[in-house]
Amino acid sequence: MSGLVLENVGKHYGSACAVTDVNLHLPEGKLVCFLGPSGCGKTTLLRMIAGLETLSDGEIRLDGQDIGHTPAHQRNFGMVFQSLALFPHMTVGENIAYPLRLRGVSKVDQQARVTELLQLIQLQEMVDRPVAKLSGGQRQRVAIARAIAARPKLLLLDEPLSALDAKLRESMQIEIRQLQQRLNITTILVTHDQREAMTMADIVVVLGEHRVQQVGTPIEIYRNPANAFVADFIGSGNIFPATALGSGRVGLPGGAALQVPICESIQAGASIKLLVRPEDLQLSLPQASAGNCLPGTVTFVRDSGATVETTIECSGVSLTALSTPCQSIGLSIGNPVSVTIPAAACRVLTA
Amino acid sequence: MSNLLKSLFRGAAPLPGETGRFAMGLSGVILLLAVLPILTMIVMSFSGASNLDFPPASYSLQWYQAAWNTFVSPDASDVLSLGQAFTTSLLVATLSMLFATLIAVPAAYALVRCEFRGKAAALQLMSLPLVFPMVVLGLALLLIFDSLPFQLNTSRLVIAHVILALPFVVRNCTAAMLSIGSEVEEAAKMLGASPLRAIVDVVVPLMRSGILAGMLLAFIISFNEFTVTYFLYNIDVMTVPIWMYSRTVSSLDPTVFSFAVLIVLIDFALIWALEKLVGEGGVSF
Repeated sequence: MSGLVLENVGKHYGSACAVTDVNLHLPEGKLVCFLGPSGCGKTTLLRMIAGLETLSDGEIRLDGQDIGHTPAHQRNFGMVFQSLALFPHMTVGENIAYPLRLRGVSKVDQQARVTELLQLIQLQEMVDRPVAKLSGGQRQRVAIARAIAARPKLLLLDEPLSALDAKLRESMQIEIRQLQQRLNITTILVTHDQREAMTMADIVVVLGEHRVQQVGTPIEIYRNPANAFVADFIGSGNIFPATALGSGRVGLPGGAALQVPICESIQAGASIKLLVRPEDLQLSLPQASAGNCLPGTVTFVRDSGATVETTIECSGVSLTALSTPCQSIGLSIGNPVSVTIPAAACRVLTA
Repeated sequence: MSNLLKSLFRGAAPLPGETGRFAMGLSGVILLLAVLPILTMIVMSFSGASNLDFPPASYSLQWYQAAWNTFVSPDASDVLSLGQAFTTSLLVATLSMLFATLIAVPAAYALVRCEFRGKAAALQLMSLPLVFPMVVLGLALLLIFDSLPFQLNTSRLVIAHVILALPFVVRNCTAAMLSIGSEVEEAAKMLGASPLRAIVDVVVPLMRSGILAGMLLAFIISFNEFTVTYFLYNIDVMTVPIWMYSRTVSSLDPTVFSFAVLIVLIDFALIWALEKLVGEGGVSF
C-alpha cells in the first residue's frame, strides 16, 4: 500500500499511556490533520512518525517499507516545530540551505534551490538576514521552506501557527494549504484548532483520550460525528439526552416528543443522546406545536453582529440556535418562541 | 573598571530614602575593601624608596626600570628567569583552558540533556574543588604524582589547574546549554543531521558565549593560581606567581609590585575581553 500506514501504533511511558492502538492510512499527496484537545497524544503520534520518539507498540510503514525504527535523520521527513526551531546563528539562506549542505549538494545547486524556495515564500530579499530580524509570519515561511528544501517524502507540522496572532494565522492557513497542494506533498498537521483543521485538511483524524476517535473528511466529521466525544469537540452542538419511544419517536426529558426516523431501529425505552447543530434549528413566533415544532422560552440572546445565538429552554432541554441577523425575529429574554428541530438534522450518538 | 562596577550593580534600581543611602554606603565600603589591595600594590609599584614602607616616602619609576632589567637580562642568581616562568605560565594556562573546555562541553551537554543515575552526585562532585581547602588539594595531588612510576613536569600543573578550573567552565557551559531548547537539535536531526552532527552544527555554536566565558575563566584561574601550584612546581617548571613569591621570600624585592601591576592589567584585559565577547549577564563566576 502506498502512502504512510500506521498499524497498532502505541506509546506509553511506564504505566502512563500517551496514545494507543492507532491504525491509519495516509494517502499520498493529502493533507491529514491530527485534531484533538491538548494531552490527547497527537504530538506524541507525530513525533513517533518523525522518529523523534520510539514506538512502544506497532509498526509504521512508508510505501510498504517498515520505518518504525529508522533514526529521524535517515527518514527524510520535513518538520516544522511549534517553536519553529530556526537556527538563530544562521541567516535565512543558511537555514534553508542546511539540509542541502548535509546531503553534500554543491554550493551552486544549494544557491539555486534557496533562491527558488525564497521565491516560493516571497522573501527573496531576505536571504542574508539573520532569522532574529524577521517577523513572526516571515519566520513561519522560512521554517516551511527549510523543511521542504530537501524534497522530503513527508511534511510534518506540529502546531506551527499557534504563535501567530489570529489574523495572520488565518492567512497562513490558506497559504500553507495552497503550497501543499501546489507541491503535492503528503502532509500531517497537528492542531487543537478545529477551524484550522476544517480550513486545511483533506482528512481529519480526531484524537481524544489517547486513541483515534474518528477519521474522515472535515465535513463528514462535522455532519456525522462517530460519538459524543467528536460531537462535543467539533463545532458547537446541542447534545441532549432523550428516550426512544419506538417507531422513530423520541421523548425529551420535559415530555415532548420528536419524530426522528433514524431512531426507528432503536428499541423502545432505550436512553440515547441526540445531536442537533445550532444552525439547523429554526425559530419562529409562537405557534401551535406540531410535528417537530416545539414551544420554548428564550433564556439568553448573544448578538455578535454577524450572527445571533439564541438559547431556548424547551421541554427540559437547553438548546442554542444560530441565525443570521436577517433571519432573526427580534427575540429577547423571556419571550415565548417556537423551535423547529428538523428530523434530518438530528444525529444519534453512542456514548 | 567602570564595566566591572556596572556589572556589579547590573539591574539594580536605586532604593529609596534611608535604606537606599545605607545600601549605597555599604556597597561603597565593600567595594573599597575589594580594590584596596590592588590600589596598595599600584601605589607601591611607583615607590621611590628602597624599603616596603607604606605609603612610600617618594615616587619614581625605578621598580619598573628594575623589572624591565630583570626581564631582559636575567639575574644569574635567579634559579629561573622570569621569561621562562612566563612561558610556562602561558603554556600551562593555555593547555588547562583547552582540556577543561574539552571536558566541560560534553559534560554540560550530558548534565542538561540526559537523565542518568547519580546525576545529582555528579553535580555535587563537579563543584567540590570550590569548597575543598587548596592546601589539602595541593598536598593530595603531590602525593599522587610522587607515587607515580614516571615523572610529570608541566603536565602535573595542567592536571591540577584543570581540576580547579573545571567547576567554573562546566557552570558557564551548563548555563549556556540550559538556554538551548531541544527543538533546534531535533530540527537539525529532521533535516538529516546525525545526532553528533546536530550537536556540532547547532548546539555548540549556540553555546559559544558560554564556552568562551568558560575558556577565559579557565585561563585566568590557571594563570593566577598559587596555592596548589606551590606544592607541585619544581626547579624546571615554575609559573609567574611562584616566581614572584620566590622573589619576595628571599629579598622582599619591590619589583614584584611592578610585575603584579602588569599581571593585574593582563587579568583586567582578559575580563574586559570576556565581557565584550559574551555580553552582559553571560558569565557566571
